Formats: sequence, C-alpha cells, structure tokens
Amino acid sequence: MADDKPDIARWVDEGAKAIGLPIAPEYRDKVILNVERSLAIAQPLLALELDDELAPLPVYRP
Amino acid sequence: MSELLSKAATASEIARAVMSRHVKASDVVEAALARIEAAEPAVNAFTDIVADRARRRAAEIDAGHHLGPLVGVPFAVKNLFDIQGLPTRAGSKINLDGPIAARDGALVRKLEAAGAILVGGLNMGEYAYDFTGENAHYGPSRNPHDPTRMTGGSSGGSGAAVAAGEVPLALGSDTNGSIRVPSSLCGLFGLKPTYGRLSRAGSFPFVDSLDHLGPLARSTDDLALSFDAMQGWDPHDPACTDRVIEPTVPLLHDGIGGLRIAIAGDYFATGGESECFEAVATVAKALRATRTVVLPDAAAARAAAYVITAIEGAQLHLPRLRARPQDFDPDTRERFMAGALLPGSWYVKAQRFRRQYRLDVLKLFNDVDIILAPATPCGAPKIGQVMMTIGGVEMPVRANLGLFTQPISFIGLPVVAVPTRKAGAMPIGVQVIARPYNELAALRVAAYLEKQGVCVSTSA
Repeated sequence: MADDKPDIARWVDEGAKAIGLPIAPEYRDKVILNVERSLAIAQPLLALELDDELAPLPVYRP
Repeated sequence: MSELLSKAATASEIARAVMSRHVKASDVVEAALARIEAAEPAVNAFTDIVADRARRRAAEIDAGHHLGPLVGVPFAVKNLFDIQGLPTRAGSKINLDGPIAARDGALVRKLEAAGAILVGGLNMGEYAYDFTGENAHYGPSRNPHDPTRMTGGSSGGSGAAVAAGEVPLALGSDTNGSIRVPSSLCGLFGLKPTYGRLSRAGSFPFVDSLDHLGPLARSTDDLALSFDAMQGWDPHDPACTDRVIEPTVPLLHDGIGGLRIAIAGDYFATGGESECFEAVATVAKALRATRTVVLPDAAAARAAAYVITAIEGAQLHLPRLRARPQDFDPDTRERFMAGALLPGSWYVKAQRFRRQYRLDVLKLFNDVDIILAPATPCGAPKIGQVMMTIGGVEMPVRANLGLFTQPISFIGLPVVAVPTRKAGAMPIGVQVIARPYNELAALRVAAYLEKQGVCVSTSA
C-alpha cells in the first residue's frame, strides 16, 4: 500500500523544526537519503515482537 | 640488535631487549620516529607526534625508571584518547577549539605505567562514525599493503601505523567494529575486549552503550601483554567492571585443548565476498572446527546496533550540529543529522531487544567456547569507493563494512580479529568470539593460529 509509506522529506523537515535543528538546503537531500537508509536498515528490528516483560538492561549501577 | 630497531620488531621483543639492556629505549624511540617520518607520506597514520615527550621518557627508562612488562615499547593512540597538552581531536576539526587535555587518558597512563612510550595520536574517521578510515579534514589513512586502498575505520590510523611498522602497538576504539575492521583490512591482530573490561575514562565518546577500547598489534603476545597492563576497575568509567584482573599472558600459549569451537552460520555465512568465508574456513580447518551454530536474530541485532549508534551519536553531537554544521566532515554530518530525527521508540526497542539477544547468545555458550565469523565482508576497498557489490547486490561501503562485527559488539562479547592472507591478495580477518570476560579463550585460539602459521601479521 503506497499510502502507508512515510513521506520522509516531510519527516525530515518537520522533525528538524521540532527539535530545533536547522538543516541547510545543501544538506537536506543527504539527510533524507540517510533517514531512508535508516528506515531500511532498522526493519529487522522494527519487525520483531517483544514480550512486555522485556525491559532494557540498566547501565546505571547505584 | 638491528632487528629490534626495525619495523618488524614486536612489542614483546622490544620490551625483553630493553629490560635486559640489549638495547636502549632511546634508540628504540629514535628508530620509531625515523620510521614514522619515512612512512607518513604514504600512509598518513599520525595527526600528532609527541617526539620530545617520547625522548624524555626514553631517557628516564635508560636511567632505570618505569621498568615494566612493556618497557621501552613505542605506541600510539587513536586521537580520541586524551594526550596531555593536546586537544582531543576525535577526528574532527571542531574539537581543535575545545579543551586541551589536562592529562592522558586512563589507558595511556596504564600503558606508560607498564613502561611503554607514547609517540603520538592517530588519524581516525570523524567522531568514530566510520568504517573506512577516510577523513575530510586530515586526509584518509592509507593501507600500508596497498596505499590506494582503505585501512578500514574508524581506527584507521591505528591500523596503518601498526601495519606499516611505524609502531608495534596502537590503541583504537570499537563501537560497531572500529578495531576489528581495520585489523581485517590491514592484516593485524586486534582485540575488542568485553564491554566494560577496559576503562574509557579520558577518551572522547561516541556511543556510550557500545563503546569499547582495545589494542591492535602484529602478534598475539603483544595483544595479551597490553591487555593485561590495561585491565582494572576505574571509577571514572561507570561501565567499567570491578572484576579482578584476569591475566592472559601466563596462559596464552596453552593451546586449544578443551575449547569447543564452532562456526557462525546463517547471517554470518551470507552477504560477503567468497574470500571472507574462505578465510573462516581456513581458520576453522586449522582448529578442526566443524560444528555450526546460529546466532538467532543476528540481522535484528545489527539493526539495533545501528539504531542505538545513530540516535546516541546524534544526541551527543546535536549542539555542534546546530552551531557548526559546516565544520563537520561531509561524510558524517548528514548521517548525524538523520540520527537526530529517528524516533525514540526505535531506540528503546533496540535496548529492550539487546537484553533478549544477549540471553539467546549466552545460551549458545553453554555448548561452545569459541565462535568463528568473518570480520569484514571483503578485503580493503579502494579509497574513495562509495558503493561495493557483494553477492550481486550493490550496497554502500560505509554502512556495510561492519555487517559482521555489529551483531557481536552489540552485546559486548570479547573478540580477537585474526589475520589471513592469500598470496597476491589483500589481507582479510576472522573474528574469534568468546563468552563475556573470556578474552583468554579468544587469545589462546589466536596464539595457536599464529603458532601454526595460519594467521600471521607482517608489516608492509
């Protein structure tokens, strides 16, 4: 379903605004490309289902 | 004596000779500085040379001070380690405007306490976000075995300096493969210890959840000697283990008796050039290993390591990305910016999955002691090469040189990268992977392979 594909250019533009990260026009295309690559590389992780009990291991040692 | 002053001398040989006064530390240091001067135009490994400091130290050793297991051994460190009196570049231009290090990083101090002599800081990919050894500010480190080719990164200068014989020992960092990738491409032995084993205090961070420090050398004796000298709890690194020091030198040459060795299948048996699998097969044959094990969800582990790296790295650099984007290396800038825009839910899922994956992989170690896997999917690509074709699939070099290293460091397992090389070809490495805190088992296997002549590292 093509409609489900995220609009990555918009993701980059609005996300950058939301976190206060100015992205100059000459950098924008490569940022979009890298978010696209990240989305592809992250897929095997995003596709997993994890048990609710599975919490991250804390690094903090009191 | 001339051999002890040559590029072929190992740290262990130098230390023995200086200790027994067969050679002066001052002569060792002068010879290293001369080799550096001669090799640098070709390999571009060093960004900083601390000749005066090294000469002073050598003179003190020749006067009878600082005697230890690494006495008189010249070494150099990736320039993310603090060196007293210098800005800690971490491969960047921006950090040159940052603070001057008030003292050396913890591991530099430990090696010098063992008698070693720091000679300089080494080139690296900017902020360690790199598998190539290229750097827009300082130029690429070049592979001594073929200077038109990459060293691998991000500890590229560390790989080049040791492979060129400028120094016998260098320190690097490894978040996703940055010790193991240059070890593979430059034909070296490299040790990525267990996560938390060695202190990271006094080094510039990249991804705290995954950052490790460790040595690269041309002999397993040198890995073990330096590893033993660097062990020990450090309150200045919250991840540093408080386990007692577990020396590896006394047992290094005990052979492989009693070690159950398997080959990583599935994810680790596809997605590379045939040469990387042939290297694993060569090593496995020498070890008489035939069993295959599968690390479950290794692709997801690689994805999770990638996500944690992208998000933690970007968050660390966000103030600099806002204030000085033009001063970043163009090959890291947009990747950092992209990382700043990835969802927090991905990050938390990656950290939750790390726990599961750790448990699943630790179960494998109930039945095996060592797992073999390729270190890189191919030998050294050409400098400047952006894409590579592996198994008929075109992929970016930068993102994929660490395909086989990322799922291992993700859960902090100790690894020794061992070198193989076919006649007429570039070197390529194999990962010898052990259970957490069992660096000794991986080092014993590496030492056995070295003794059998299966894995040999020579300076170019």
